[in-house]
Amino acid sequence: MTDKKSHPSLLGATLAIVQKDLAAEFRSRELFSAMLVFSLLVIIIFNFALELDIEVRRTVAAGVLWTTFAFAGTLGLNRSMAVEKDRGCMDGLLLAPVDRSAIFFGKAISNLVFMLVVEAIVLPVYAVLYNEMRIFQPAFLGVVLLGSIGYIGVGTLLSTMSVQTRMREVLLPILLFPITIPVLLAAVKASGGLIAGADLSEVMTPVTLLIFYDVVFTALPYMIFDSVVEE
Amino acid sequence: MFLETIPDTSRYMLAGYIISFLTMGLYVASLYIRNRNLRQDEQLLEDLERDGKK
Amino acid sequence: MQSKPIALTILDVVSIVVLGISTYLALVFAPTEAVMGDVQRVFYFHIGTAWVGLLGFVVAAVAGIVYLVTKDLKWDRFEVAAVEVSTMFFFLTIVLGSIWARPAWNTWWTWDPRLTTAAITELIYIAYFMLRQGIDDPEKRARFGAVYTLLGGLSAPITFMVIRLFRTIHPVVIGSQSAEAQGGFSMSSDMKVAFFFALFAFTIIFVDLMWHRIRLGALQEKVEQLKLKMSN
Repeated sequence: MTDKKSHPSLLGATLAIVQKDLAAEFRSRELFSAMLVFSLLVIIIFNFALELDIEVRRTVAAGVLWTTFAFAGTLGLNRSMAVEKDRGCMDGLLLAPVDRSAIFFGKAISNLVFMLVVEAIVLPVYAVLYNEMRIFQPAFLGVVLLGSIGYIGVGTLLSTMSVQTRMREVLLPILLFPITIPVLLAAVKASGGLIAGADLSEVMTPVTLLIFYDVVFTALPYMIFDSVVEE
Repeated sequence: MFLETIPDTSRYMLAGYIISFLTMGLYVASLYIRNRNLRQDEQLLEDLERDGKK
Repeated sequence: MQSKPIALTILDVVSIVVLGISTYLALVFAPTEAVMGDVQRVFYFHIGTAWVGLLGFVVAAVAGIVYLVTKDLKWDRFEVAAVEVSTMFFFLTIVLGSIWARPAWNTWWTWDPRLTTAAITELIYIAYFMLRQGIDDPEKRARFGAVYTLLGGLSAPITFMVIRLFRTIHPVVIGSQSAEAQGGFSMSSDMKVAFFFALFAFTIIFVDLMWHRIRLGALQEKVEQLKLKMSN
């Protein structure tokens, strides 16, 4: 065995984990279909709950979208970590001679991919159902990406913690939502402005805060991920 | 009259201070009760341990 | 478990005395504020509890970092004590603020940055206790708790900055006054005496309560270990 094989590089190990998650998901499609159906249901419920007429719709569109993403995201995070835990994959991963941060980045990237795929389907559906074509501007999609990165960064760390507690799935939203309020608020503020027809330069303040949050809350979980997986 | 221009909000003030002392009192009481219960547990466990050794 | 240290008994007495003096200063000594009337007097305790509330959360985050580095469970007890006492005081801050807001703003609650951040911070620390409750292994409980206080301590200021993007009506009593703030006032020198004494008094009370809570934590740990020994 060559030295390279027994100690894969950080990037190699990360990609291997991502590949494993995506391949497993591609075969079962459990997680993906659950997140997608759930998101569409949330949007439909909002439609009735808020009685979205033309006027109201514009102002609450960003809020509805981000609430949907947040809920669907929790669903995905819970499931993706619970699978690792239940099938004993987490122990296998921890025993593997890879850097722990590779596990964090691997899980975070595959979680992010699931969330982005769901968003990529929900956004056009939302656009058609509510006739909101401003969604398809690059700036808006950029905000969606930034918001998802911040949400998933903290979410991956916290879901690793919550699956190891007695309350498991129930606990994740309780831990996650108060911590991610800044990223959700900034994302709502930025995307709401863009839907209302503002220029990117006009929503630069929330976008800057989003980037700031993303950097802090990707770096910090990366640094302390070790503390939540050691046995 | 000049004095009447100051609104009478003393009821709110009273409520605020009653709640303050009540909350702090309850917290101190909870510390006391938890401490007492733990002492009892400790005593019981130590007794059991001594009996077990006999 | 050693018996109660004399220093702690002295601190208990001092706490009660300064609480009494602070109450006297706030209720009797300080002049009645001309626009809002007596309700302004809750401000002294509002500020006092808010100060120790925030202090405790900073202390907890620092204790969390120290725990993660040293892995010494004594820092975990320190952290829990700080969070628990602060959560209690911060609850008081919110309730007192609400009581003041009713006559001053004519509403119990408004979604202003400070109020909202305070509510979210309180929720973060309630979640902290739920997290701890779900873990049996004390060492793992300490690690997860430390990680969560760290995340909470970083997230709360960012929440505040983000909500700042919306306008505020909360008065800034110290420092510059926001143009849209309502219910602000300038303090007379007697008010300042009551104000600074309240800060001092609550700091003492905070230290006292934290000390008691740390001792309680040590006792908890001892009982847990005894139980473990028995079951073996």
